[in-house]
Amino acid sequence: MSANDDRVAVETSDRWPDDADETVGVVVNWFAAEGGHVEEGDAICEFQVEKVSVDVPAPATGTLEEIAVGEDEEFKRGDRLAWIRPA
Amino acid sequence: MAQQEKDDASGQQADRSLTMSRAMVEAIAHEMRDNNEVFYMGEDVADYGGIFDSTEGLLEEFGRDRIMDVPISETAYIGAAVGAAQEGMRPIAELMFVDFFGVAMDQIYNQMAKNTYMSGGSVNVPMVLTAAVGGTYNDAAQHSQTLYGTFAHLPGMKLVVPSTAYDAKGLMHNAIRDDDPVVYMFHKRLMGIGWLPAPDGPKTAVPDEDYTIPFGSADVKREGADVTVVTLGLHVHRALEAAENLADDGIDVEVVDVRTLVPLDTETIRDSVAKTGHLVVVDEDYRSYGVTGEIIASVAEAGLDDLKGVERVALPDVPIPYARPMEDEVIPGTDDITEAIRAVRGRE
Repeated sequence: MSANDDRVAVETSDRWPDDADETVGVVVNWFAAEGGHVEEGDAICEFQVEKVSVDVPAPATGTLEEIAVGEDEEFKRGDRLAWIRPA
Repeated sequence: MAQQEKDDASGQQADRSLTMSRAMVEAIAHEMRDNNEVFYMGEDVADYGGIFDSTEGLLEEFGRDRIMDVPISETAYIGAAVGAAQEGMRPIAELMFVDFFGVAMDQIYNQMAKNTYMSGGSVNVPMVLTAAVGGTYNDAAQHSQTLYGTFAHLPGMKLVVPSTAYDAKGLMHNAIRDDDPVVYMFHKRLMGIGWLPAPDGPKTAVPDEDYTIPFGSADVKREGADVTVVTLGLHVHRALEAAENLADDGIDVEVVDVRTLVPLDTETIRDSVAKTGHLVVVDEDYRSYGVTGEIIASVAEAGLDDLKGVERVALPDVPIPYARPMEDEVIPGTDDITEAIRAVRGRE
């Protein structure tokens, strides 16, 4: 089992606005940096779909190990934005 | 620098950064929880959360009695805020764009700013007037002004202009707790909105707990030995970018963010000029009869001998154009600041 299997992905599907037809979003803000400590439930980033802003809560408490989609970058619905290593 | 005063000793706190709008909202929410007399009135501040996110999320927590959408009558609701303040409440009234002040100016500068004096001190007016300011996004001449100089000129009200999330929160706490009227101008480009991306810089680490930044304390955002740049709001970040570019050429620039125009921390500015000898003042407001002239005069009055050179960079005295290349031409850019810094050193 590799060390990466312990990481928790920051998902976007369940945060997608219900009435959005668009399947591409853009990350507007990260509120935590790679290597930073995050608390489960705290908003760690914000993305926009069809001009609607959505906050993404941390799915676990731990270290934000890797940001996969940076600020102003686009991603598809279902893409993972980051990985957290639980504390 | 101020934003490094963050308390991270516990190691338990999340390492979070906030946009400027979220930092402002956090301070307002904290004050509203602590004090039932604090409430917020404005156009589109309830369901919409403020067109520049200045009240995002507050309606859900505090409800419609304390987060109030008002009809489009600035005279009516700013006047109502003045009355509520005189009766002991702590209203925050939002002027959606500072450009709209004209229709309510009597309430602002004759009532809000002067009632304490006109009543012989029998009432005071502990309110905050928030207003979105600034251009750079093609909203034309009636929605792009800063009007820093207009408001700073009129006595009886303090004037706050934050440039970072850390400063925005501490200054907002101080504004709401102040027993006299405070005008709190937030630059749209700094708020961190998706459709109006901020430059790098305004999003900073912000402590969870409340803290105040006293008015009249300028912040040296970058230390340098050769040239002092005094500025505020969006142009703090443009000046910092110019300073970084010039560092490669061996020019060491100090950037002073005044943070409040009233009161103005002339001491920090004079101390910096005494060190560098060269002063560049950068302002997004109109050039004539404004912030640049006032700051240069306040330095010259007390320390003329320290001044080897002076430059000012401001908006030329024209209505701000709608067309993108024309707006970019008139609003001071990083290159304009860089050029002024180079020029001021040529005056030795």
